Amino acid sequence: MAAVVAAAGCTGQSTSEPGGSAAAYRAPRTADGKPDLNGIWQALNSANYDLRAHAARPALSLLPARGRSGVPGLVRATTVDLPDPAVRPLGAVGGVPAGEGVVVGGEIPYQPWAATRRQENAREWLKRDPEIKCFMPGVPRATYLPYPFQILQGTNKIVLAYEFAGATRTIHMDKVGDSPSPTWMGWSRGHWDGDTLVVEVTDFNEDTWFDRAGDFHSDQLKVTERYTPQSPYHLTYEATIEDPKVFTRPWTIRMPLYRRVEPDKQLLEYKCVEFVEELMYGHLGVIDPATGQRNK
Amino acid sequence: MTKWSLLASAVVMAAVSISISMSLSAQQSATGSWTQPKTPWGDPDLQGVWRYEAAVPLERPAQFQGRASLTDEEVAQRQKVEEEQEAQRLAGNEGTAVGRGNLAQSPIRGNEYNSFWQDHGRPRQVFKQTSLVVDPEDGRIPYTPDAKKAEARAQARYGAGPYESFLDPDTGERCLTDGVTAMMWQGPNGGHNRIVQSPGYVTILHEEYLDRRVIPVDGRKASGIRQWFGNAVGKWEGNTFVVETTNFIDRTNYEWAQILTRPSETLRLTERYTRTGPDTMDYRITVEDPASFEKPWTAQIPIARLPNDTQIYEYACHEGNYAMTNLLAGGRADAAKRGK
Repeated sequence: MAAVVAAAGCTGQSTSEPGGSAAAYRAPRTADGKPDLNGIWQALNSANYDLRAHAARPALSLLPARGRSGVPGLVRATTVDLPDPAVRPLGAVGGVPAGEGVVVGGEIPYQPWAATRRQENAREWLKRDPEIKCFMPGVPRATYLPYPFQILQGTNKIVLAYEFAGATRTIHMDKVGDSPSPTWMGWSRGHWDGDTLVVEVTDFNEDTWFDRAGDFHSDQLKVTERYTPQSPYHLTYEATIEDPKVFTRPWTIRMPLYRRVEPDKQLLEYKCVEFVEELMYGHLGVIDPATGQRNK
Repeated sequence: MTKWSLLASAVVMAAVSISISMSLSAQQSATGSWTQPKTPWGDPDLQGVWRYEAAVPLERPAQFQGRASLTDEEVAQRQKVEEEQEAQRLAGNEGTAVGRGNLAQSPIRGNEYNSFWQDHGRPRQVFKQTSLVVDPEDGRIPYTPDAKKAEARAQARYGAGPYESFLDPDTGERCLTDGVTAMMWQGPNGGHNRIVQSPGYVTILHEEYLDRRVIPVDGRKASGIRQWFGNAVGKWEGNTFVVETTNFIDRTNYEWAQILTRPSETLRLTERYTRTGPDTMDYRITVEDPASFEKPWTAQIPIARLPNDTQIYEYACHEGNYAMTNLLAGGRADAAKRGK
């Protein structure tokens, strides 16, 4: 609790906006003199729906609008895109809230083939998004999923504990060897740049996405994250994404993260493997537990 | 339980049954040179990667009935066997040469293939105790009659099925967890535990299934929200880290590799972590659950700290659970063959 007390005790006013200079705010220090980022944090934005600026839309999976035609009912007007039948019963719950976007400069610089692939991913969202299957979310997506995560600062390791799927990262603040294999959550090496925690993340596989809009990467992904305290209650998160197989240049996302200040707030379990077994395996067994019937 | 290995390493060890003349903790305190290091904020420092790698059976084998310790001669002999077996493992040998039975007599139900899955990379440590279970006095887990039946059923179905739906494999095969009870002493395959401390928290990262416990040590009470890993609440008693965990969800109706690790709503775990030297810890766990046991039982488990450069790697179980698809495909083929 020392961290929270220290943070709450600090009345330093931040004059900087997310993404601006943090010069006006100095984070409290841990007992060993490092900036203290301990706590439970969460993004409050619609980046996980779509990193780019986007208008609200009726569903994550859409049927393209049908044009005006001679069909009765479509003679005078066209519909908006319609929710895919698989998600239609969710109604307004299944809609996509609008967002100003978190990509610095607004555009994700895809190579032409990759831009096409991104569009396919969006169309096939229901089949392809790894979030649906409770797969580990990767980086930076883990940060802005609609679940809290906790920063736990040890003396030479920092643990990032995510609520979603119980995913975890260990940031090595000490010198470590290379990752022996590609990973879902990357291999994280950290250092301090003033008050900013800088994490270089490498050794990804190509199986995670950046959002529910089909934004993706290859196994050449490298992410450089910057966690900069801005006040006792928020920090700026910035991630620069490099992937020469998919993008024409590095690009950056930036957003505030907010401290969860509820007393005794804890990360709770979201062990979603159990939630997706019927989806992934229900049709494969002799018996489908959803129906009690034999599969054909 | 993992798809690749072990029932419990402890069961494997029952067949091998090793110990030593002197516990490592006794050795450490004999030197008198070690003092418990503290974190910068003053808590006892338990950080590092820890693993159970001793050769002590979980329950006391019949041959040692009535005594808690081995003789010096027995210890020396077992030490020699361990060293020989490790040499055999390093030479790439399998089966009886490395202390694993053949398929028919395997104590781990056919999983003794590829011994490297269970290789510590060094001889297992030999201790004097004849069982990890130290209470009750007979060194046996006091299962209720129903739990004994469940354990027998779990062993009989392991690797044999039936596999009619995704609910039939055990919780480990489903990439959920093998439970908190055995997390600290599960054995060599994925049995690494990294402890990271921060002010007010002790976090334990267990490699297998990515099990993770963020344990508050700030005086708060259990949240009351039932979870797979329960609500853990920690405190310091001198240099000992004491954790009480309650509020588990009831998953007694799932298949568990070992009945002793299944959680129910009445499960209560009390753990005591005491570092006894730079690389040794005395870990004790008391397990109370009237749903499975007639009375509480306690295991005293020596665990070892691994070298500083030891890492926990990403155990992406669910993401690569091809075994589930294959088990179910096999189950359907089997049902078709039997004309069902």
